[in-house]
Amino acid sequence: MKTPHPIAQLPVADVLRRARLIVACGSGGVGKTTTSAALALQAAMAGRRVLVLTIDPAQRLMQALGLKTVLGDGPPQLPNTPLEVLPRLASQLPKPLPPGASLHAMMLDASVAAEQMVERLLGDAANRQRVVQNRVYRAFLPTLAASPEYFALELIYTLREKGQFDLMVLDTPPMHNAIDLLHASNTLSSFINDRVLKWFSKIPLPGEKRGFSILGAGNSMAMSVLGRLFGRDALPDIAQFFGAFQDVLPKLRDRTQATDRMLRAPDTRFLIVTAPGETCLREARHLHAELMEQAMPFAGFVVNRVLVAAQPPPDAAQIPAIAAALEAAGLSPMRAEDAAVEVLESAQDLQRLADADAQHVQSLQHLAGPDRVCAVVVQRDGDIHTIAELASLGAEIAGAQDLDADRLAVLG
Amino acid sequence: MMSQHAPPPLPDDPNRNVNALLDRELLLVTGKGGVGKSTVAAVLARAAAEQGKKVLLVEFESISRAAPLFGSHVIGPEPRQVAPHIWAQSLSAMDSLRYFAIRQLKVPALVHLALRNKAVEGFFRASPAVRPALFLYQLWTTVEEHGPKGDHHWNLVICDLPTSGFVAGMYAIPNMLSGVFRTGPVATYAEGMRALLRDPARTGLTLVTLPEDMPVVETLELRALLLERHGVDAAAVILNAVMPRSHDVDVLDALDRAADRDPGLLGPWRITAERIANRRAKALSAARRLREMLPPNTLITLPWRFERELNLQAIDELALALRKGVA
Repeated sequence: MKTPHPIAQLPVADVLRRARLIVACGSGGVGKTTTSAALALQAAMAGRRVLVLTIDPAQRLMQALGLKTVLGDGPPQLPNTPLEVLPRLASQLPKPLPPGASLHAMMLDASVAAEQMVERLLGDAANRQRVVQNRVYRAFLPTLAASPEYFALELIYTLREKGQFDLMVLDTPPMHNAIDLLHASNTLSSFINDRVLKWFSKIPLPGEKRGFSILGAGNSMAMSVLGRLFGRDALPDIAQFFGAFQDVLPKLRDRTQATDRMLRAPDTRFLIVTAPGETCLREARHLHAELMEQAMPFAGFVVNRVLVAAQPPPDAAQIPAIAAALEAAGLSPMRAEDAAVEVLESAQDLQRLADADAQHVQSLQHLAGPDRVCAVVVQRDGDIHTIAELASLGAEIAGAQDLDADRLAVLG
Repeated sequence: MMSQHAPPPLPDDPNRNVNALLDRELLLVTGKGGVGKSTVAAVLARAAAEQGKKVLLVEFESISRAAPLFGSHVIGPEPRQVAPHIWAQSLSAMDSLRYFAIRQLKVPALVHLALRNKAVEGFFRASPAVRPALFLYQLWTTVEEHGPKGDHHWNLVICDLPTSGFVAGMYAIPNMLSGVFRTGPVATYAEGMRALLRDPARTGLTLVTLPEDMPVVETLELRALLLERHGVDAAAVILNAVMPRSHDVDVLDALDRAADRDPGLLGPWRITAERIANRRAKALSAARRLREMLPPNTLITLPWRFERELNLQAIDELALALRKGVA
């Protein structure tokens, strides 16, 4: 096996210094949201203007960024709108923010984003009215929140065009596979593609006399299939829904191609966030393989919650000495001996976990290879509650190196 | 004086809570990522199988986590027996689409033809609501036809759901379908699905969480959201990974004093004991908080294990521990 590359030589700091878009992906519960916020803060402290966008309900992020105290306990009032975090909380940071630097946070509400996008696309007021009143559209709209990937990309793309931020960090929804994100734009355009539109546009609209007979044999069979699946009376509404999109299809396609290019841009970086454990490891490998296969700009792994056992490891040979010390500290001889044995057992249990974690880290370092990052974050005892804690976490992920604002340079 | 009657059950008897949960037809197991949903689903499956129930364990749109556990590499769309009394099934959206289409059209050849049509495929693949709708359709028909009210092939269907967002989306499906399809077959299905999901005697919503601040808060929020929007309360909240042991206060104090005198020798021992004791204290406080907020007899606890990968033996030990409770 190849010797794992020393982590310090390829810190995440390097990615933070240069990338314009960082996509943090990984399966659920590995600490993506906190990692994204910590990375964004770290980059802001290095002097960049940064936005972190989260799709999760984002309680963690809101809490860590101190937004809960500002906005009360509910979600922020303005989804899809960047909210300034720094310099508001800058006084709590270990050192002052460089001039010009900023940190914004934004929460995605996919159904609101979808509505805004549809309205933007359907420029014509009459057409917009038709769509907004269509019952298929109205029934679908709330369910769009279930696939927020595309709208996150769309929002980031819009903000990128405005040039307000040097770096955007995207905290993706939990993924078992990267396909959801990578294909998000393709998926949307295939949902509303030429063939779907052409096909549905042949269904007579309410009040129209056009019958199925004018369709080709294949289409009329397909129509009969759809009719049998859903009942014929639902078809006109579906047809109207798709019909409304006919004119805007080229616009939508341009847009989805642009977001796709953005994901593959030379200044975009994917980070896979993961944690120890066979399941996480398996899923991180799977994601990695997909990113590689799609030739996406993969920057490396961030391995959270790695357990490090107390050093030097408690040893059975120390039991008499420990028991004596506990006895001197006030325990009865028998209690002292029992306590020493119990604590040794706990130490051995924790050591086993730490050994397993070290192996997992090593296997990810190997997978990352010498050209990619593999940042290790040691398991903490508590949650992140303050921006100062977030800053210290960010420093740990970034390889504990001071970022140098003068060396900021954009890749490519 | 001895009573003829059994003593009244304790206010929170884990064994009774577990039995009540397993008596349903369908369990929807969900929670934030990383809380151990799949582990809990497997533990519940083994606990039910132990009682002689025939169980179908269903996964959706994920790399099968049941497969490595049951030593079976191919768990696919067809239910397959993986252990005594346990069958497993792993579904993708396309699997559920094919299932739906074949049942509706009756003619498999027609289905293959229809699914080859790029427009049809694009429509089904991409529409965000379609995936949970198709999955729910398959789940519903499976429970109706093969559950206790059907041919009794399975007593219990346990569903390991992808994310808590997915389950919220799934509960919204019947209303969405009724909004689009007012008559016709889909309208009828929507009624059936709604009836199954909303009947607490048939379907048990099972929320899995961890003894940490945010997961507990998020679990309570998810419960409140489903209760408010869909009138469905959690049948059980399973607090996973509860540190089962601690070190006594006198030991911690003695370690503290001794480590102050000889930090070189005692330091690592003190850190170890404190870590364990802190984890235990945190778990107890999470359990207390959940009990305060949840209806009685809803909380079930599972012990933490000092392992990163659980094998079937570990799952069985957890299934036993489930009935005893650890906090």
